[in-house]
Amino acid sequence: MSQNRFVRGGMKTAAVLGVAALAGLGFGTAAHAQKTVKVGISLPLTGADAEDAVHIKNGATMAFDEINAAGGAGGYKIEYWVLDSGTATAGQYDPAQAATNAKKFAGDSAVVGAIGPVMSGEGKAMTPILSEANLATITPSSTNPDITNPAMAAQYKPKGKAIYFRTVTTDAFQGPNMANWMHDKLKIKTVYVLDDSGAYGVGIADSFQAQATKIGIKVVGRDQLNPKEADYTTVLTKIKALKPDALYYGGVGQAGVKLAKQAYDVIPTMIKAGGDGMQGASILKGVGFPAIAGWYCTNASPHVTEETSTADWVKKYKAKFPGAAYDDYTITSYDAALVMADAIKRVAATGAVPNHDNVRDALQQTKLKTLQGEVSFDANGDILQKVVSVYQYKENKAKPADDMDAQIPYIGVAPETPQS
Amino acid sequence: MSTSPLEHARGFLPIFWERVRSEQWRRGVALVLIVLACAFPLIDGNEGDLDAAANATAFATLALGLNIVVGFAGLLDLGYAAFFAIGAYTYGIFSSYQIQPEWSSFWEPFQWLGFVARMHTEGVPIDHVHFQVSFWLMLPVSAVVAAFFGIAFGAPTLRLKGDYLAIVTLGFGEIVPIVARNTPYLTNGAMGLNGALPPQLFGYNFGVKSLPFYYLGVALVVFLIFVSTRLKDSRIGRAWLAIREDEIAAEAMGVNRTKLKLLAFAVGAGFAGMTGTFYVAKLQTATPEMFTFPVSVMLLVMIVLGGTGSVAGVVVGALLLQLLQSWFLQDLTEWVHALGRFTSIGFLERIDLVQSIELIFGIILVLMMLYRRQGLIPERMAVAALTHAQQTAVPSRGSKVGEFKPLHSQTVDSKRPLLEIRGLSKAFGGIQAVKGLDLTVMPGSIVAVIGPNGSGKTTFFNLVTGLTRPDGGSVTLAGEDITGEGPHLIVEKGIARTFQNLRLFPNMTLMENVLVGTHTRTDTGALGAVLRTPHVRHQEAAARERVMEVLGIFGNRLMPRREHLAKTLSYANRRRLEIARAIITEPVLLLLDEPTAGMNPTETLELTDQIRGLRDRGISILLIEHKLNVVNEIAEKVIVLDHGEKIAEGSPAEVHRNEEVLRAYLGRTATAAVRAAAAS
Amino acid sequence: MSVFDVLLQQVINGVSLGAMYALLALGFTMVYGIIELINFAHFNVFMVGSFIALWVFEAMGFSGQSQVLYGLPLFGVLLVGLVVVMLVTGFLGVAIERVALRPMRGFPGTAPMITTIGVSYILFNIILLTIGANTLNYANPMPNVRWEIGDATLRLREVLLWVVSFILMLGLHYFVRYTKMGKAMQATAQDQEAARMMGVDVDRVVVTAFFLGSALAGAAGMIFGLYYNYTSFIIGYTAGLRAFTAAVLGGIGNIPGAMLGGILIGLIESLGGQFLEVRWTDVIIFSILVLVLVFRPAGIFGRMAPSKS
Repeated sequence: MSQNRFVRGGMKTAAVLGVAALAGLGFGTAAHAQKTVKVGISLPLTGADAEDAVHIKNGATMAFDEINAAGGAGGYKIEYWVLDSGTATAGQYDPAQAATNAKKFAGDSAVVGAIGPVMSGEGKAMTPILSEANLATITPSSTNPDITNPAMAAQYKPKGKAIYFRTVTTDAFQGPNMANWMHDKLKIKTVYVLDDSGAYGVGIADSFQAQATKIGIKVVGRDQLNPKEADYTTVLTKIKALKPDALYYGGVGQAGVKLAKQAYDVIPTMIKAGGDGMQGASILKGVGFPAIAGWYCTNASPHVTEETSTADWVKKYKAKFPGAAYDDYTITSYDAALVMADAIKRVAATGAVPNHDNVRDALQQTKLKTLQGEVSFDANGDILQKVVSVYQYKENKAKPADDMDAQIPYIGVAPETPQS
Repeated sequence: MSTSPLEHARGFLPIFWERVRSEQWRRGVALVLIVLACAFPLIDGNEGDLDAAANATAFATLALGLNIVVGFAGLLDLGYAAFFAIGAYTYGIFSSYQIQPEWSSFWEPFQWLGFVARMHTEGVPIDHVHFQVSFWLMLPVSAVVAAFFGIAFGAPTLRLKGDYLAIVTLGFGEIVPIVARNTPYLTNGAMGLNGALPPQLFGYNFGVKSLPFYYLGVALVVFLIFVSTRLKDSRIGRAWLAIREDEIAAEAMGVNRTKLKLLAFAVGAGFAGMTGTFYVAKLQTATPEMFTFPVSVMLLVMIVLGGTGSVAGVVVGALLLQLLQSWFLQDLTEWVHALGRFTSIGFLERIDLVQSIELIFGIILVLMMLYRRQGLIPERMAVAALTHAQQTAVPSRGSKVGEFKPLHSQTVDSKRPLLEIRGLSKAFGGIQAVKGLDLTVMPGSIVAVIGPNGSGKTTFFNLVTGLTRPDGGSVTLAGEDITGEGPHLIVEKGIARTFQNLRLFPNMTLMENVLVGTHTRTDTGALGAVLRTPHVRHQEAAARERVMEVLGIFGNRLMPRREHLAKTLSYANRRRLEIARAIITEPVLLLLDEPTAGMNPTETLELTDQIRGLRDRGISILLIEHKLNVVNEIAEKVIVLDHGEKIAEGSPAEVHRNEEVLRAYLGRTATAAVRAAAAS
Repeated sequence: MSVFDVLLQQVINGVSLGAMYALLALGFTMVYGIIELINFAHFNVFMVGSFIALWVFEAMGFSGQSQVLYGLPLFGVLLVGLVVVMLVTGFLGVAIERVALRPMRGFPGTAPMITTIGVSYILFNIILLTIGANTLNYANPMPNVRWEIGDATLRLREVLLWVVSFILMLGLHYFVRYTKMGKAMQATAQDQEAARMMGVDVDRVVVTAFFLGSALAGAAGMIFGLYYNYTSFIIGYTAGLRAFTAAVLGGIGNIPGAMLGGILIGLIESLGGQFLEVRWTDVIIFSILVLVLVFRPAGIFGRMAPSKS
């Protein structure tokens, strides 16, 4: 009956796959007799965050490939192991899948460190496991402050040592700094805050709101958008009636694109701002000019894509990944990979064999010049150089439509405290 | 006559499965599987694989829970993930760092009990507490909380038919994650619950180790398989299956639909609640996106793939889909990548099959629904066909009614009327179906109700048995007013019925069909079904014996087929089965709605004899019949209905001669012709 | 903005929202009325329709909202788009019926509805896997005309939406009520067996219903894209649930009911968002769905649906 047939069929399939796997190995890269270390990369390559994840993956793998081509880190070849933390069922990152990935990394003694995750929600699931295994990860984009907050150390690093390093500043700075900047430069007195119900969006909107209230900006209202919904005219009409000086949106493009388009219709002259979720090629393309013109956005890293050192990097990137877009997180990811390789190099220099313990310790002592400037970490794993950069969408017809530096020009740094 | 080799071969598989179904074999297979499951970590000690396996056990338990609601009780729940969420967040509230009220003396007794812990943070003047109720305590507590919500969400759906019920449950399934997202104080909303605590067992903290969670997960699966199996093969399980097959008939056989549907929701939700606690204790965080509609659909796909209603099937379905997601598709993707590198086809090099898992779910759902609705492991294995000898056996006239002893404990006063109907009325829209009906049935008598089609006979039965509420009038049974009571209560009081259009439970065996009839005379509840105390076992055995006695009334017609599904029966046998099912409810009054319809004269005579036999054993009969020879043969009193009103009452002979009756049946001109013919 | 202006604007918003939901609900409610099937796939046929219209417009040379047409050329372009979309989605609907639903016809219980969930998933994921999760800017040749009423704004596209959905509703209602095929549909809705015995080709009726219903879904998709200037793989999800609630509220199976239900849901959404918070909209709407199904399953206009036993 069917069950018998199924079992036999299953075994046949397994046999075929086994042979094929062996064959596949044969077609894979030839084994080298060189010393190697493994670095795990866990990213949500499935679902709504996939595009960002791919940019980040490109940045990190580009760095590792360059280092390997130059002889490796301290003589060790870096073998990167990419795992997907997104599932189709979740439609985005899945904390359970991220946890499983963390366990896979922790369970493999050849893995000395990891790059990622992309989203803070995954980070919360991964850090207890990483802490237990004393395996460090560097995230280029997770910005929720809880994970490195010493008050929450019992939950997120039960073993005590920092294992969640960031080459990006947390929302504890991105949101509030923008509030400071809007207060100083735009003279905002009242603001309406929106978020997109996602972990990142709620976090950054909360921190913006808290700082705004603290420095005397009146928050006239706060509401939440459903990213799956098409029509935001209701809440936009409500905002229009309240007449705040500005609208702040914490969240990513799924809601952000629609919000920007519809806001152009309903509140075209109001000042509008968002976080790093509103910055990027997909926003530019999804919204288009004139609707996106005038939107401010921030990024939790210094602006480097226009510096000459970065221009070279951009050329290399375009050559390696033809047609692919990049953004500031590609850079922080590239830098994260550089930092990881540097730590491995320093361990190798002492003569020890790199493992997750000594690499973690080495990471803690990092002081490295990267594309975004100098990178070093505080005791919690947060980056010491906390820079929040501000940009504004402004159509530049002379340059190509997908040139982010031209269409989303850099304006300045958002201060840690209000200057006026 | 010997069977041909082909018949042998075809007969072999069902017999093989018959053996597998037997208790010993099943226990053996189960034992082997448990040993394998326990040995798995020794074979593959990889933390990542163990973690995936532990997650798989969670989905297996969820599938088991959904199976109770959808598979057993037939209630399509498209929002099942809501209970998963409730279990998860209940644990998250009572055992995490999420809620941190300020310390005060109010918390002292709780601290003493170990439910809260006091925390001191540097630089913060007031200490806070956080909850840390034990995982082992929260496991049943979450189950109860989820069960409570199961009842709350199930209650509005009780009167709804299949697809509307599904939509309402879908609605609740959407509402729960939204509420979770909008109550950040309790759940931290979208940002993820902070620090749910892992379980501790005698000082051993599970932490983030996969191994203890894996074993715990396996233990949960085994436990819930045990509970499911016990429930299925019990009074409760049969009642659920009856509701699934035909809820009207189930109610008419004494099953309290409301109570049992709510019980199904509660038990199913309880399973999910426990799983939610397990899952969150392992992940140590929770976000509302973990509990959305796609998760509910995934569970539905699991049980559809594995076999709705089959306990083993849904576990297999869950494990298969998890294996597919976490192992097979990844490996297949790597193989395809290698193929792509070999053939330099860029598309193949980059494709990620893991992302297409949802597409695969959709395809599985459509294919299974179209081509194999019973799933990979059907709920019912094939049963051995009757042997040739059995099939061609001469039907023996069952006259074992003599051996059948009614058991009803009510003593019926033979001088007072058993059933008294006064002024019974019912209108449907503009049509008066029954109007001002008066009727008396004395104990130990057979009363026939006849009349042209549409005269309200079946409506009358429905009014008496509670399927329809009367507009006016009264129904009294042995002095007790039962007007407008629900059907299952009326069965309890002692009135049973058969249906004009046959309402059997087609996918249940004959044995099970008749066992449902014992529902009101037995009292095993869900707890008893799981524990299977001696009282329960005794009741079950007695009920089965009783079924054999009742089936025996019909000779060898039903008995050899007792393990066959009811839908395989011939028409006449189906009628007999309905009667058997009604008889076993120990009625004092049996309402038979055209019991001999579709039977040939021999069968009709046989059944007429059996009806008389039942009356002789003390069951009063109220009979709707069209066959006048039957009416003449056994009815002591005949009532004639026309357009909802009684137009004649008396002995069969009296009624035959009645003018009104003739006119109702034949029409005025024909009546005149008949009389003229009779006169000449 | 004065209180009156805000209210007026939210009413305009609500009616527009409602007209969109009504448009989406029309085909869905019609199919339910005839074969009592809740067709989950309808809302992803809508989504597919919006993509098809996008490709048609892009093929005609439009991209984004920068090139604007007026008058006859505009009408012509929209008509071409509409015809192509309706044909393609109509045939898609027929294919779905033939492959996945006809074999299930007459099966009791929820099996056919479950099959439509599967079909819906397949459509959704094919688009997601091939096109991706991004929100695509819509190629839209319509001009952005608006009128001010005090502080409130009324846009041309809103008026067009109301008019088009109303006309389509009337057209469908007329078709079902007065044409021969429509009457055949009504007969099939009441009693399939009896209709067959009266000479109605039930298969053809069902195919026509699916063609019409799916074509309407596709048209709704195109109108959605033109109205919101975007499309993505997910648009069927929320709009679908709201349209579903609208159909149920108005009386599932009833075509004018779908219009009324849609308007009501739209107004509840906009006024609820104004006076409460937008974050609770989903909860409110689902609660309405549950309440209607529990207390008055026939909705506002519906006849008591014959029970499927």
